[in-house]
Amino acid sequence: MAVSPTRTTVGRMRQGDHLLLGYDTDEERETVLAAFLLDGLACGHRGLLLPPADIPAGVALSFLEAYGCRVDEELAAGRLCVDAHLAQPEGLWDLDEVIRREARRAVGDGYLGLRVATEVLRAQAGRGLKSLHDSELLLDPVFASLPVLGICQYDRRVFDESELAPLAGLHHGRVGADQVWHDDLLSITRTFAPPGLALAGEVDDTNVTAVARALHAERARPHSRTPDGPRTRLDLRDLLFIDVGALRLLVFSALALSAAGGTLVLCGVAPHVQRVMRVAGWDRVPGLRLEPAGPTP
Amino acid sequence: MSRTGFVHQALRYGSDVELLGGTVDFATDGLAAGDAVLAVVAARNIPLLREALGDRSRQVEFVAADDWYDYPSRTLGRYHAYCDRHGPNRRVRVIGEPVWAGRSGFETREWMRYESLLNVAFADSPHWILCPYDTRRLPALVVETAARTHPELDDGSISSVYADPAHFYAECDAHCPDQVPGAADRIPITRDGSAAVRRAVAAYARRAGLPEQRTYDLVAAAHETVVNVLRHGGGRGVVRLHGDQDHLICEISDEGAHTSSPLPDFPGHLPPEPRAPNGHGLWLVRQLTDLVTERLDPAGSVVRLYFRRPAA
Repeated sequence: MAVSPTRTTVGRMRQGDHLLLGYDTDEERETVLAAFLLDGLACGHRGLLLPPADIPAGVALSFLEAYGCRVDEELAAGRLCVDAHLAQPEGLWDLDEVIRREARRAVGDGYLGLRVATEVLRAQAGRGLKSLHDSELLLDPVFASLPVLGICQYDRRVFDESELAPLAGLHHGRVGADQVWHDDLLSITRTFAPPGLALAGEVDDTNVTAVARALHAERARPHSRTPDGPRTRLDLRDLLFIDVGALRLLVFSALALSAAGGTLVLCGVAPHVQRVMRVAGWDRVPGLRLEPAGPTP
Repeated sequence: MSRTGFVHQALRYGSDVELLGGTVDFATDGLAAGDAVLAVVAARNIPLLREALGDRSRQVEFVAADDWYDYPSRTLGRYHAYCDRHGPNRRVRVIGEPVWAGRSGFETREWMRYESLLNVAFADSPHWILCPYDTRRLPALVVETAARTHPELDDGSISSVYADPAHFYAECDAHCPDQVPGAADRIPITRDGSAAVRRAVAAYARRAGLPEQRTYDLVAAAHETVVNVLRHGGGRGVVRLHGDQDHLICEISDEGAHTSSPLPDFPGHLPPEPRAPNGHGLWLVRQLTDLVTERLDPAGSVVRLYFRRPAA
């Protein structure tokens, strides 16, 4: 098995992938899982959720409603399933058997494959996470041989990075949310902790509209409404170039947020970009705040 | 003496006594009136002026002219920033002695243009700029031209040869270097090709040994000029990269949009409003570049960006 720290996005997953999702917030988990399961419906796969607690299927999948999915219909048709197997105390022991059986059953029911998303409570992970390690090891041949792809979810508020790193080594890598935009010059990704957008690369006359679109969509995210007014955060630490037209857009957005009592926060702005902002007279715009980059996520 | 509205005077002095005679009362009156007083003068004149002002010199901000007068557009930006810092309602008095020694003919002409542009840039301000010209040291042409770029002379008399800034601007354009020397790298400008221009400009600047910060400035300035070609210049043009002994030269030319939309006066010389929908690009180009020449024309424009070569 390849033990590389590769990170892929959920929309690029393919059959055989067995990836680890370490999530910081419920929003992040739901974003990745929604893409995973809805892509499955589009691909002719059955979606199987193995949650860590015995909760009704409609409740466990209710977050999909926000994405336009009719959860009750999909459950009734069997295209989406929820199995409380991992809520049992010994659920981890035969997880590989469960997935093998479910994959075969999905094919037997006429699906092109199975998408499975698992999550366990920390208490079930075993002493030193041993049963978790053993279980993940046993899963590998299942993914190698059957038309199945899976995401193992780990709440990073519960599992720390020193625990996740060895677990990630038992997967084909890590998975994260899809990029909001990607072209030859620029990638825009959603950040979750803290919530916002990260811009990496170059923004110029060819892709400034993608930034505008992403900024606009950001206003609709729940976290953007704070007691201090609407707030949008842009992580610019990996931004190499931004032109005047794009900076003007940021200024315009900051003024719009400011008019609503809010703020546009720019983090990790490179000195040469700050200089351009100063020269253009954009260093003292109401609603525009510059902050240091903070720790690398 | 007290005045309202913008005042721009040339003080032509032939001795230390004449310099102090023209500047000490100017500074003292300003301090008495609550004005901010900034003295940007030749280094040798700083101790002279300090001594003559005595205790009051502590209230005057002194800057050595060589540090302040590096490139005309940046000096203009610096004055704007200084005046902004002192608030919109407080008058700033400046004793501003430009540096003429060691300038090429091209550079001298651009500094003359700068002196004339001050009349436009600060026209609506309450500030008062007094520019000493040392007649013992300066070429006759520089001293004579001071009378054309300053509405008032020495003791407040009106200059009879003062030139309208727009006319003087055109006159300076006529003196701009017409040709740039040497073979050039050519990069065509295309709708989706601004990144390719940035790559080529950056590679050229690095080959020429430009420091990283100045490389970024050249890339940014070239990019904004290319964006202007795409927006205002008909979208077809070429970037040429070459150099002479003193400068790297990035020339951006276009085939013109052939529209009758009005061209801006003094393009890029006047600071844009932060909330304006345009006008920041060319201002930034001038602030980032050592010298810019431009011929904007609906039938085809040429902008040249001059970046001084790093000292060997």
